[in-house]
Amino acid sequence: MNGINGHTPEGKYITLISNDGFEYVVLREATEISPVLRTMLRSPFSEARTGRCHFPEIRAAVLEKVAEYFHYWFQNKDKDDVPDMIIPVEICLELLMAADFLGLDAKPEPTDREVNRGDNLAMIAARME
Amino acid sequence: MVTVNNRASLQPMVNKATTEFEPCWNTLRGALIDIHNKVVSALSFEHLYRASYKITLRKNGRLLYDKVIEFETQWFREHVLPRIDDLVANNLAGLSLLQIATSSSHERRETGEKFLRGIRERWQDHNTAMNMAADILLYMERTGPEAAVHPSIYAATIGLFRDQVLKYTLDGGQDASDHPFNIFDALISVMLDLINMERDGDVIDRNLLRQTTGMLEQLYDNDDELENEKLYLTGFEPRFLQASCLFYRGECEKLIREADASVWLRHTRRRLEEERVRCMTALPFMTTDKILEVVKTELISAKLDEFMALEGTGLKSMIDNDRLEDLTILYSLISMVDKSKSLLKTLLQNRVMELGLEIEQTLKNTDFSTAAVATDEPTEGAEKSKAQPLNAAAQQTAAAIKWVDDVLHLKDRFDNLLAVCFNQDLVLQSAVTKSFADFINMFNRCSEFVSLFIDDSLKRGLKGKSDQDVELVLQKAIVLLRYLADRDLFERYYQKHLARRLLHAKSDIHIEKELVRRMKTEMGNHFTSKFEGMFKDMEVSKDQSENYREHIRSLGDVDVKKIDLSIHVLTTNYWPPEVMGRGALQEEGTRECIFPPPIKRLQESFFTYYLKNRSGRVLTWVASAGSADIKCVFPKVAGKETGPLSKDRRYELNVSTYGMVVLLLFNDLGEGESLSFDEIQAKTNIPTGDLIKTLASLSIPPKCRVLTKEPLNKAVRPTDTFSFNSQFVSKSIKIKAPVLSSTSKVEGDDERKETERKNYQTRAHVVDAAIVRIMKQRKELSHTQLTTEVIGQLSGRFKPEISLIKKRIEDLLAREYLERIDGDVSAYRYLA
Repeated sequence: MNGINGHTPEGKYITLISNDGFEYVVLREATEISPVLRTMLRSPFSEARTGRCHFPEIRAAVLEKVAEYFHYWFQNKDKDDVPDMIIPVEICLELLMAADFLGLDAKPEPTDREVNRGDNLAMIAARME
Repeated sequence: MVTVNNRASLQPMVNKATTEFEPCWNTLRGALIDIHNKVVSALSFEHLYRASYKITLRKNGRLLYDKVIEFETQWFREHVLPRIDDLVANNLAGLSLLQIATSSSHERRETGEKFLRGIRERWQDHNTAMNMAADILLYMERTGPEAAVHPSIYAATIGLFRDQVLKYTLDGGQDASDHPFNIFDALISVMLDLINMERDGDVIDRNLLRQTTGMLEQLYDNDDELENEKLYLTGFEPRFLQASCLFYRGECEKLIREADASVWLRHTRRRLEEERVRCMTALPFMTTDKILEVVKTELISAKLDEFMALEGTGLKSMIDNDRLEDLTILYSLISMVDKSKSLLKTLLQNRVMELGLEIEQTLKNTDFSTAAVATDEPTEGAEKSKAQPLNAAAQQTAAAIKWVDDVLHLKDRFDNLLAVCFNQDLVLQSAVTKSFADFINMFNRCSEFVSLFIDDSLKRGLKGKSDQDVELVLQKAIVLLRYLADRDLFERYYQKHLARRLLHAKSDIHIEKELVRRMKTEMGNHFTSKFEGMFKDMEVSKDQSENYREHIRSLGDVDVKKIDLSIHVLTTNYWPPEVMGRGALQEEGTRECIFPPPIKRLQESFFTYYLKNRSGRVLTWVASAGSADIKCVFPKVAGKETGPLSKDRRYELNVSTYGMVVLLLFNDLGEGESLSFDEIQAKTNIPTGDLIKTLASLSIPPKCRVLTKEPLNKAVRPTDTFSFNSQFVSKSIKIKAPVLSSTSKVEGDDERKETERKNYQTRAHVVDAAIVRIMKQRKELSHTQLTTEVIGQLSGRFKPEISLIKKRIEDLLAREYLERIDGDVSAYRYLA
């Protein structure tokens, strides 16, 4: 699907904002793993225009972990045998739902390398639980 | 802590939410309207996405899907179709569909493009909107259980455009009421019309066309979205190809009516290029091959033979007038439609044959006219720029050289065509070569003529020429040689001609050797072994003459020293029988020439010397092949007080050996005495033919008329008498009596028949040998196999006729080299 991205500000970073107003600045590239964020930032809606993504139903602790995951994925995407991310047990369930919401439970795309390149967030969260 | 087994059991994140379908759908519905109205920048993607997320989590995804479809369908009806109706107004569809003849193409183009632009605009709006709609419905798409069963929401909503707009049936207006049509038909008609206009030279909006075909590429024939069921492929392309087919068929017929192959070639090339460009600028690239195929079929293949056969501009005229560019285009076009290029190949071959036979025909005509001139007015029979009159034989030689020149010229032309126009195409090259070989070998004197050509080139042509010219001649000789099928016949002629050149030192021995060396690489060892033997004889003889002179000097024999001997000892097998005095035509040739006593002594002296180192050999003196320098004194004529006749005159005469023998006879004669032809023959034993020639050279040409003949005329007859010409005067001291036999000339019909007969005999032996060789190895063979093998073995030398092989087999059966295998008539066994 071709997003209409004529007026997307091509900043290097974007901002994720939790329901309690915490802001997490992440590398735009690192959010590519989430189809939802990817679409969000390409479709000509307000998020694409401002580079700020509000998540009124995700709280800071969870969103922080999501932001951490983005970078974890970004840094390890080309590596083999990466260590698991540490996820506090108390946010596991919420994180799992957030992962579902953001489409982070997708299987690795077939074009990617076959070797283990780290589980997706939903799998990590489910395991921690 | 809740145990999570499956995603569907999860509660939405916000527990307080009493998310109902209606509020969420209302949010989304509002957003869809905004999207269509292009006011989205204030909307939050997250908000809308969350709405569809919630609906999907509540397992209402299917409902949402249907609702969206329903909404879009309604949107089309209320907002899009009215605008389409506007567009179709003004009788546009009627215009484009019925191609009303009265409307100018300009008008048609204007309205057509307007229509396309309208459709394009609707499509682009819809496509953009549906992309966004699909974006916000992402969660439903991704996780809804419907995803697997239904086409994606994007595909479904895009498909609505096809169903709602393209299949929107127009009432057809007053003109087309009998057959209803829809927007899609109108669209295609307009597009095809535009393309045809462009083909006719109009400038159209290619970008518009490109976007329209792009739309058809994005749409599918149905909601299954199979790759090969794109609307472009199912709806547009076949009709486009069909329309193109008709267009080019018509064009081709127009071109053949105009009957100019040259125009046709260029036009076709341009059309191919145009279509290729069109597929890059206005149509999808994947159509390229298909449309090019149409052009190739309709414009090239369909009438190729007719265009090639066109009088005045067809292939014949292209070749004859060296229209290289035409041929180049022709070749490139034909290569596209026919990899084997069979038609071009056949036509080229025919043309080569025609031209080749033309050469022969011209030759015959030329022959006839000059021969006629030669017999009627021998003094004016000069050919080309040569001042001196040519006798009939020389004219024949000139004809041979003309033939060879013409053939080489033709070959050069076709080589040039192959290189410049036909990309050195191997198929064509071998076809042309074959035709050359065919027509050359159809000319029954080709072997003789080729050898004569070489003879002439080496004898006359190379004096004072540069190495490059020599190289050129050598190359030409080899080129011709390759074409000859009857190489044994050529070998025979070449041997004869070479022998004459060598014995009379008419050519440069280095060039001779170089040519033979090349023949060796071309045809193999056995072909040149005789020639090499001849060279060797020449070298050895030179040494022997030298040594013999040395030997005589050491003896201090003063008497014999008066005659200086230079000898060529020729090995019988290497040299042609004609030269060796064993020619079958000269039956008297077996008779020994009677040499005068001084010569006899010299011969004996040399023979003694020769046998010192080699015992058991026989030397036969071949007087017909030698020459002699005679110092002679013409005493002053009594009664003449002034002028050259008043004193003694000394001349050096260069004559043939026979000439010397004859002249020596006159030494013994007294003043005023004469000898008759018969007397001379009786005293010398020279064969009649040779004697006539010898006497003619001594008594007819004014330059060396040392004998006077009675009666005084231009021909020597056996009834003539001869006497010493005491009045002989010459300005030069050294005089060369023309040795007629040294001029290689075309054989007369009798001679040629004789040569062929001899050649046939030799062939019989060669075939015998081949059969025995093969049978010895194979022991048993069927008749067909044996024949094939024999032909294979001999192909390098000549093409044996089947009848000859059959005859030889029968002969070998009779001589009990072979026997028939019992019960099998057509198989043989070798008898050791």
